[in-house]
This record gives sequence, structure tokens and C-alpha cells, in this order.
Amino acid sequence: MRVFLFSLQSAIKNLWLEKWINILTMLTIAVGLLILGSFVLVTLNMDSMLKRWSDGFGLVIYLEENLSTEEEDLLKEYFQKDPDVIEAKYVSKDSALGEFRKTLGTMTSILDGFEKNPLPSSFELKLEREALDPVIIKKKALQIIQLNGVEDVQYGEKWLSSLNTMTKGMKIIVVLLGGIIFIAIAFSTYSTIKILFYRRIDEIGTLKLLGATRGFIRLPFLFEGLFIGTSGGLAGFLGLLAIYYFTTSRIIEFMPAIKGMMIFFPPETYIAAPLAGAVMSLIGSIFAIGKIRY
Amino acid sequence: MIQFSGVSKYYEDNVALKDVSFSVEKGDMVFVTGPSGAGKTTLLKLIYRSERPDEGNIIVADWDVGELRQKTIPYLRRNVGIVFQDFRLLNNRTVFENIALALRIHGLHPKEIKEDVADVLKDVDLKHKAHSFPQHLSGGEQQRVVIARAMVSRPTVLLADEPTGNLDSDTSTIIMRLFREINARGTTVLVATHHTELFSGTGRRLIHLKEGKIIKETVG
Repeated sequence: MRVFLFSLQSAIKNLWLEKWINILTMLTIAVGLLILGSFVLVTLNMDSMLKRWSDGFGLVIYLEENLSTEEEDLLKEYFQKDPDVIEAKYVSKDSALGEFRKTLGTMTSILDGFEKNPLPSSFELKLEREALDPVIIKKKALQIIQLNGVEDVQYGEKWLSSLNTMTKGMKIIVVLLGGIIFIAIAFSTYSTIKILFYRRIDEIGTLKLLGATRGFIRLPFLFEGLFIGTSGGLAGFLGLLAIYYFTTSRIIEFMPAIKGMMIFFPPETYIAAPLAGAVMSLIGSIFAIGKIRY
Repeated sequence: MIQFSGVSKYYEDNVALKDVSFSVEKGDMVFVTGPSGAGKTTLLKLIYRSERPDEGNIIVADWDVGELRQKTIPYLRRNVGIVFQDFRLLNNRTVFENIALALRIHGLHPKEIKEDVADVLKDVDLKHKAHSFPQHLSGGEQQRVVIARAMVSRPTVLLADEPTGNLDSDTSTIIMRLFREINARGTTVLVATHHTELFSGTGRRLIHLKEGKIIKETVG
């Protein structure tokens, strides 16, 4: 415990003595995490907007003509039992025609040529978000079309596919960028601690001769790395927060409709940036000190 | 306390020590002398395991020095105080902090550290310089700080490598008096020097080295 406290004191003293190189490293980490945080935030907002759009997304199942009420009920029961289905709404022929008339507005006269209602009755299925995957949904559509009384199944296949590709693309970018930035943070701290280690090589030599253990020699450097990483992460997070509020306030000025739609990270994740900075810097510091030989 | 048995050390093709055997009893004060390049510094380095013998065995206070594992070396060194010609003081720390460092390594309580450092500073007559930085001290004062640092953790063995190398004769006398006092308290002292005036007339045992070999043992 005493060695721990002494190492902490030494680390604070050394952080102050070498403040400029430490501040520079801290800022490098802050900028790295700020860039990564910005990408994650954009992805988060895209995902949130996609979720809003996909709330209205589902399958439309067109039924055969002259289906009995019992057959329609059987189908409804089948859909309601499906765990991927949130809601199964029945749309009768008359309702469908009414909706179509509303859509046509003043051009309803084009329907006058039909002797009877040309639109089929249907079910509109609202699906769970997890089920909105092109593969899952295609499989489900193929199963449904085999059912008795089902004429056709339609869904926005291309649209859904594009949405998924976009979201997945952003997620891949975030993962790749995250990997690069994490390595950059570790390398940045590695370089700084290596420099500090060599600047204190005489002191380390004296400590070794006085009987200092490897832990005693390493600990102040690890504390320094930890502090640099944590403070860099914190500075990056605060920078991101400032940029977010500044940007959203400017966007809302021009696009008031977007108010309330943009989101920031939930409070429970605020620790992520300082933690990421701390962990990666600690890894960099451990590699920088390397193996101490007597 | 210190036992060398057939110890040899080579640096590539150069012989630093060849088949050296001697022993130093607990509480003795022994001088190792010889011209530059005789192997005095190598001999001391082997004792505190800064170097490893290529042949032979070295026992220091029951430690088989040649067989020590890396992680055990610090514990040997805590039993061996070392005084260097070039001092090796930390210039960004005060006299007090330099001496206290040896005790912090041992994990002592701050109160004990304060008391022990004050005591040892009194012994070397530098209490008034406790808060000075090494670069503001004379060579003799710096050497006394080094001796204080080596002694504060009460090691069983004290090694000194040319301790008066850069000092005038008056200061050298003070340094040697300190070594005698330390030895009188029971610490085994081994001093490597080529300054004959340090040991002549002392009645202490002298080990003469030349080209890495013990050529004779005499009394000063």
C-alpha cells in the first residue's frame, strides 16, 4: 500500500515535470476518441432514424377471392402466433378500396370502369425489428405464400436491403475505425512512456541498485499512462458533447422538424471514452516499459 | 559474509577476473587495491549481481549470487549498500528524498523514514542540508549523502568503489572515518581503491589485484 501511494506521488510529480509531452499525448488521444465518438454518434442517429422508418415496415399478404371468414380467422391466428409478428391487421376489400380512393383523390373516376371491387382483402403484418433482415423476411414470405388462401406476399425487398446495407456499412466503418484508433492510442502512449522511461534511465539504474523490485520501478509509469489515457478520453468525450450541442442547435435553427429526433449517448455509456483511453494507454505503457533486467 | 571460489569473468576475449578466491568474514573491513583495469570494479559488480560470474561461485550473506533469479536480485541488493565514485544521486530530489528512497523501496512507514533519515544525516553531519539538491553540494557532501543512502537501510555489507576518487585529502579522511564508524557497528565493509594513502597504516587486510588475478594479500 505504501509503495502504491509512493508510486502515485511519483507519477503526479513526473506528470507535472514532463507536462508538455503528456498534454500533447493526452490531446492526441482526445482527438482520436473524438473522431471515433463522432462516427459512433452518427451511426447511432442513423440507426435511430432507420428504426423510426422501419416501424411502419411489414409484409402485405394478399388473400384469394371468396375466402370464408373461418379461413381468414385461421390465417390471422397463424400470424398472431408468429413471435416475429407484432401486429396482424386485416384489411377487407372494401377498406382497401376506400384507402385507394383516398389516395387517388380527384382521380377516383378511373375506378368507375370496374364492375366490381378489383382489390383483394389482405393482412398487413408489422414485424419485430430483429426480423427485418432480408434473409429472414424472404424466408418468412416463402412460408406464407404456401399457406391456403394466400394469393401473394409483398414487401419492399430492395428498400429493406438498402437500409440494411447502409446500417451494416456504417457499423463496419465504426469497427474498423475503432480498431485503428484504439491501436493509435496504445501506440501514442507507448511512445510517450518510452521517451519518459529513457529520460529517467539513470534514475531507474539507481533504483535497481538500491533494491527496487520491477513493480516499484514500473508502477509510476503505469499510473502516468493511466492518467494520460483517462484524461485524454475524458477530454475527447467533453469535446464531443460540446460539438454535439453546438451542431444540433445550429441544425435545429434551419430544420426545426428535426428537433427531438437527434440523440446523444445514454448517460450509462459516458464512462466508455475515459475507460477506452485508460485501457489502451495502460496496454501501451506495459509494452513501453517492457521487461526490466537487473 | 563474502566468499569467492574460483571466480572468473570475461568480457568477450578480455579477462576481467581469473580464478579469484577469497573470503571476507562478517564485520571485517577489507580493501581491494590494484591499478586501473585490475578488476576491482568487476569484483564489486559481481557481489551485487550487476555482473554474473562465468566460472566459480560467489556467496554473499547466504545468497548464491551466481544462481540468483532476476526477480530475487533486488532482495540481495537490499542487503548490500553501494557507494559509487560518481555518486549516482537523483538531481531532481532533495538530499532527504534521495536517502529516503532507499527506505521507500523497503516499504517503511513515512514516520520511520523521517526518523531514520534524520539519524543518518546526523551521522554524516549533513542535517542542515536535508532540503538541498545534490547539485548545490560539494563533492565531499555528495559522497556523504551517498554513504548515508547506502547505510540508512542497515545493510549487512557495504561496498565502496573508489569512494574518494574525486575528493581532496581532507574530505577523503572524513569519508574513511565514516567507513570505520560503519564497520565498528558490525557492517562488513569492502573498499576498492587505488589510493594507497587510504589504507596505509590502518592495519586492515588488503587484497591486491593485477590483470584480474589476486597477486598477494597484505596488511595495510
